[in-house]
Amino acid sequence: MSAPAFTLTAAPRPLLFAGFMTDDTHALAIGLRQRDPDLLDRLIEQYQQRLYRYLLFLTGNPSLAEDLFQETWIRVLERGNQYNGKSKFESWLFAIARNLVIDASRRKRISSLEDLGDPESNTPYDPPDERAGSVLQLMLSRENEQSVQLSLLKIPPYYREVLLLRFSEELGLEEIAAVLTAPISTVKSRLYRGLAALKTVMTEGAA
Amino acid sequence: MNENLHERAQRLLAESVVEGLRPADETWLREHLAECLECGHGAAATQKALRALRAVPVNVPQDLAARTQLRVRLRAQETSTAASGSFWLWVVTAASWLLGVFSAPLVWRGFAWLGANFGLPKLAIEMGFVLWWAVPALVAVAAVIHQRSLSTGTKGI
Repeated sequence: MSAPAFTLTAAPRPLLFAGFMTDDTHALAIGLRQRDPDLLDRLIEQYQQRLYRYLLFLTGNPSLAEDLFQETWIRVLERGNQYNGKSKFESWLFAIARNLVIDASRRKRISSLEDLGDPESNTPYDPPDERAGSVLQLMLSRENEQSVQLSLLKIPPYYREVLLLRFSEELGLEEIAAVLTAPISTVKSRLYRGLAALKTVMTEGAA
Repeated sequence: MNENLHERAQRLLAESVVEGLRPADETWLREHLAECLECGHGAAATQKALRALRAVPVNVPQDLAARTQLRVRLRAQETSTAASGSFWLWVVTAASWLLGVFSAPLVWRGFAWLGANFGLPKLAIEMGFVLWWAVPALVAVAAVIHQRSLSTGTKGI
């Protein structure tokens, strides 16, 4: 008996991001430096879905994700002069959002984010509480494969984060490393472990 | 089939989605997956999970973008006003320091004349000179710092 037909799907985008300044990112950097309000309006529109999804999956809390969404754009306004246009805008944006999530977790001790930056701490991971999970479920479209989405919530946030950045946001390894301010080797290791963890929780869910 | 072959297939499968594979490894993996039912199912499950991950849909709250745009515009206005006020404060501070430095010889002579004619002690003359020279500049610096603390306070609201 032969195995089901399988097509190897290569990584969706170039794996390593070569740091170069395109016309687009250069124009973006200038606009951000000038605090161009129309540019910011367009960026907020353009990235609302991706940024909100990233924040929602990191925090598991829609109301906190909303607050952090707004804070992220305020930071973009205030620190626009720090974006040099040499990297992708979304890497810079997600890095800002991530730092705000870490700050919020320090202030409020959000259980699901306590070890966002330290997966090697050997602290056992507690999945988000049921209330947060159920609120998040309501935010997710019902038509999609909910089992995968719910499985995502069961894996530690530091793995969930890299899986989202790699396979949902389609960032390259170098771009993810920039978001996490971590070496590429760390990103790879978290991706491998995250994939294994996702597989495990999906298998458990299916059983 | 050799257990090591399955392990290799699993490893290459993970590598294919994380880092990409060399052509030789990719060919080997294709062949293995075509032959091995178990690994083929595993690969299909991985692909299904990744497809779902790529398509995780989230309903963004209504008006979130509009509310954010409004907040960002208000913040931009605040910072623009603060920046213009701060520019003039810095100009005044710089002018005060420059005036202090360049007028020092003249002021020193004035204080020396006062001391000579009114018999003031040397320490009082020196203190008076230092205060005359430093106080305006220090007041300007204090105003700048005060304005900064006010703008930081507004930011936190």
